[in-house]
Amino acid sequence: MHFEKRRASTKQEIPTSSMPDIVFMLLLFFMVTTTLREVEVYVDYKLPEAQAIEKIENKRLISYIWVGRDKRIQINDSIVQFDEIEKIMYSKRQALPNVIVSLRIDQGIDMGLVTDIQQALRKAYCLRINYSATLRI
Amino acid sequence: MLKKKKIPEAAIPTSSMADIAFLLLLFFLVATVIDVDTGLGLTLPEYVPPEEMVTVKVDPDRMASVLINENGDVLIDGDFVSILQIKNTIKPRIEKKIGLPSNKKMIVSLKTDRKTVYKQYIAALDQIKLAFFEVRDELSNSRFGKKFIDLNAEQQEVIKEEVPIIISLAEPEVVK
Repeated sequence: MHFEKRRASTKQEIPTSSMPDIVFMLLLFFMVTTTLREVEVYVDYKLPEAQAIEKIENKRLISYIWVGRDKRIQINDSIVQFDEIEKIMYSKRQALPNVIVSLRIDQGIDMGLVTDIQQALRKAYCLRINYSATLRI
Repeated sequence: MLKKKKIPEAAIPTSSMADIAFLLLLFFLVATVIDVDTGLGLTLPEYVPPEEMVTVKVDPDRMASVLINENGDVLIDGDFVSILQIKNTIKPRIEKKIGLPSNKKMIVSLKTDRKTVYKQYIAALDQIKLAFFEVRDELSNSRFGKKFIDLNAEQQEVIKEEVPIIISLAEPEVVK
């Protein structure tokens, strides 16, 4: 007996002509969402872990203070002395009244330094702060 | 008779376009840092010069004072607990305050030594916040049948009023 191969008479091809369009769309998405890092961080730090963390909705309001393992403090693009914090943060607050200060502090730092920074922030009237932490799973 | 010359097809080869686009895509995929800022939010109290400070007596029932020493030992109202127990110690006390007016809500005061490690302070603060969040979640579950984050703004206000997060950072002592 002779079996006849049954094959659809239509072309068996996946149309790939629109592939570049799809890829370009993805590409555009990533191009738009990419933020190339604007500040270089000089201090070396490891954030503590926490569970009850919240996202900061408004990224424009955030101003960072980094404190590294070696207790060096960085604001903006430069390492600053402790006494300068108040002045710098005060001028930041003048420019942006509802600034949120994100404290990126190394997990091994003594609370003494953290308290001192907090006092400086209070004097500079930057009262909204956020202890940066990573999610503990 | 003039025969029409056959015009060769003029086309740009587009087959490699996808490859080029993929290369670009890969570059941006690698270079992207979707950097979400997460952390524990807190509002500091206004600065008051030491000579203008006034002490206000607070009902001890309203207040839980959490003390952490330099070894990471935790004391809540005089009782020694571990950091991970803070949540369960405070939670029932917050729950008790649910029906009360806003000037009777729970205050959690957190105080550390100058030598306490930052990590431990964050762990304690995390526990306190977790306690508040869990009470909020449970309350919104019983009232609206949803979690706190899924409520609309109006309902969130109701819950926030019922369970306000009051964390007080103790005034640092003057170092001699």
